[in-house]
Amino acid sequence: MSVDSPPVPQPPLMLDALTTPDLPTDECPRRARIQIDLLLLAIEALDLGGSEAMLAASRELALDSLVRGRVHLWLLRSTNPMRRYSQRRPMPLDEAKALVVIIANLARRLTVVVRQLLLGHQQLMDKQLSLDHHFRLADYLARFRSHFRARMNPRRAGVIAYSTDERLNELAIQLLEQLLLCSGVLGAQRLWSSLFDGEVS
Amino acid sequence: MTIQRQYTLPHCNLVLQGLSANDSDPMSPLSVLMNVECHLPGATDATLTGGREFLDSLVAAVNRYGQQLLSGVVRPAVTPGAQPPMVEVKPGDGNYHHLVVQQQPLNQPVNDTNALAPLDIKLTTVQFYDLMEAVDQLLADTQTLPDLTAQFQAVPRRLVKPAEPMAKRAAPAAIGAAALAATGLMLFFVPPPVVEPTRPEQEASNAGETDAVDPVVNGAAGTLPGDGADPVAAEAAVDQLDTAPAITDSEALTLLQQELTSRLQAAWEQDPLPSEDLTYRLVVSEDSDILGYKYQDEAALAAVDTTPLPQLTFLPVAGAEPVREAVAQFMVTFTAAGDVVADPVEMAGDDATASNGTANPVGTTNAGTPRGTTTGAAGPLPALDNRISEGDRIRQLNTTLRNRIVDNVEGPSTGESMSFRVRLDRNGDVVGYEATNPAARRRVAETPLPDLVSAPNSRLEQADFLVVFTETGVLQVSPWDGWPQ
Repeated sequence: MSVDSPPVPQPPLMLDALTTPDLPTDECPRRARIQIDLLLLAIEALDLGGSEAMLAASRELALDSLVRGRVHLWLLRSTNPMRRYSQRRPMPLDEAKALVVIIANLARRLTVVVRQLLLGHQQLMDKQLSLDHHFRLADYLARFRSHFRARMNPRRAGVIAYSTDERLNELAIQLLEQLLLCSGVLGAQRLWSSLFDGEVS
Repeated sequence: MTIQRQYTLPHCNLVLQGLSANDSDPMSPLSVLMNVECHLPGATDATLTGGREFLDSLVAAVNRYGQQLLSGVVRPAVTPGAQPPMVEVKPGDGNYHHLVVQQQPLNQPVNDTNALAPLDIKLTTVQFYDLMEAVDQLLADTQTLPDLTAQFQAVPRRLVKPAEPMAKRAAPAAIGAAALAATGLMLFFVPPPVVEPTRPEQEASNAGETDAVDPVVNGAAGTLPGDGADPVAAEAAVDQLDTAPAITDSEALTLLQQELTSRLQAAWEQDPLPSEDLTYRLVVSEDSDILGYKYQDEAALAAVDTTPLPQLTFLPVAGAEPVREAVAQFMVTFTAAGDVVADPVEMAGDDATASNGTANPVGTTNAGTPRGTTTGAAGPLPALDNRISEGDRIRQLNTTLRNRIVDNVEGPSTGESMSFRVRLDRNGDVVGYEATNPAARRRVAETPLPDLVSAPNSRLEQADFLVVFTETGVLQVSPWDGWPQ
């Protein structure tokens, strides 16, 4: 029997754990796109080789059919409307699933660092000390702030809300907690499900 | 056989005890869950214990709060007002979370003696993560409680409370609509703006060609601002303009007179024609703008709106600015026959008009020649429809005309070039003439042409000739349409 066309590529099996939500459209909602990009930004701020690690993780997890190299990763991340060079293209759900799996994978590798930073943050807060007293934490926050300011469009209303260092630090700590929460056994499912809170019908 | 499964993390120790389904297999799942213990070292010394109900409630609470931390969207309670669940996690101050466990056994009625306060355990984020991770490991473990699996559900849209109450969200739209309505209402009472044409301020530097009769203008004698259609304002303007310097140059006066007449004639709708002649006194600037007008009798006042004067009158906007430019005054008559006749008015104290002697044009534009020649001869020549076609005849007529002018011309050059269009019939009689430049119009009396008109009503074939008296006194005569071939 002759085959007229190559077989339709199947999405990787490991995405099956992430159920497709009951959305009005096939595209990722706005908040999900922002959240995915910000979590990736936090990973980059935690790990100097974060962007390389994302590509490596996508290859290891056999997701490179969905996240096809550096430029495609950049295009996917640029669907974040807060970005300076935001792309007005949709992010398909399969690509979003792949990014969520990559985030959970990288978060698991960074668990030790994240726990240290969060414990240090908690101690500083209890003693009412400024965040500069924890060298590693201050380093992470400074890197996150510079990444955020370099890539986000300062004229967007969503970005104006983070115009001060304090607000950006809060956001960075919040993202750190979220990274910790999705680093567990079921982290990817938890993150995936949370992306559509208030969006499903 | 009793078996025990333990999930150990740095800040959480979850222990499940139950009966094994298969005694021989150490990895067999629990068939009956007897006891659940949860230790939270570092957070509390108390040990949370309970049965299956406690475990289900713990899993649900942890799932719900974990998702809330990840998304920031608060999932509303299933039924508000119902009995609080056995285990609850709530956000606290700072970065703390509160694990609230009801210690009251559900099957005992609550009364004053046996009431137990719920246990409130303060957790850091890392401690909560360890609790959640213990629960996740239990959920992911298919060999302990296979029926307990992860069920993550996103919060449906309808359950999410909007970030702001409806009244607050509607407020900007309501304010906008109200402001639009109020603005519309206010603008309803504002009259539409009247666009006034601006005209450049003329300096009195034109005095070289105009003799300023009264160069000192009263500072208060500015023209009134206002509606150009208001006869009273226009009349006031006339009164004020009496003090303005007058145009006395006869050439300028003649040009103004012609332009004024043609403008009025063109703008006059003649609907209806006046029953009697309407006479107005007009003040005209050098640019032939009508600065003001004044009716001369009651009929003219009543019928002013049928004339084009209100539309054409220009009233300067800056009322305080005194009129410094030279003006001319005309008596304009709108005749019952539909003609417009403009006469220059001699201003009081104006002796400059005598400088040209007879040159001051008096009479209608249709009878522009001061010597009172017949109007048909001196006015604009009608179109030539019955023209002479023979070239010999034209050459002959050209010579005839030239000779007749040469015979009658008096005196030497006038110093200005004058050109006329002269019409002859085939017998050589002058039918009429027309001045074609201002100097000619003014000084026609110095030429022999008025005397030469001999057949103003001739019906014979006719031809036009160009007659030029040059500045040096040379006479040039040529056929109007060029020399015949």
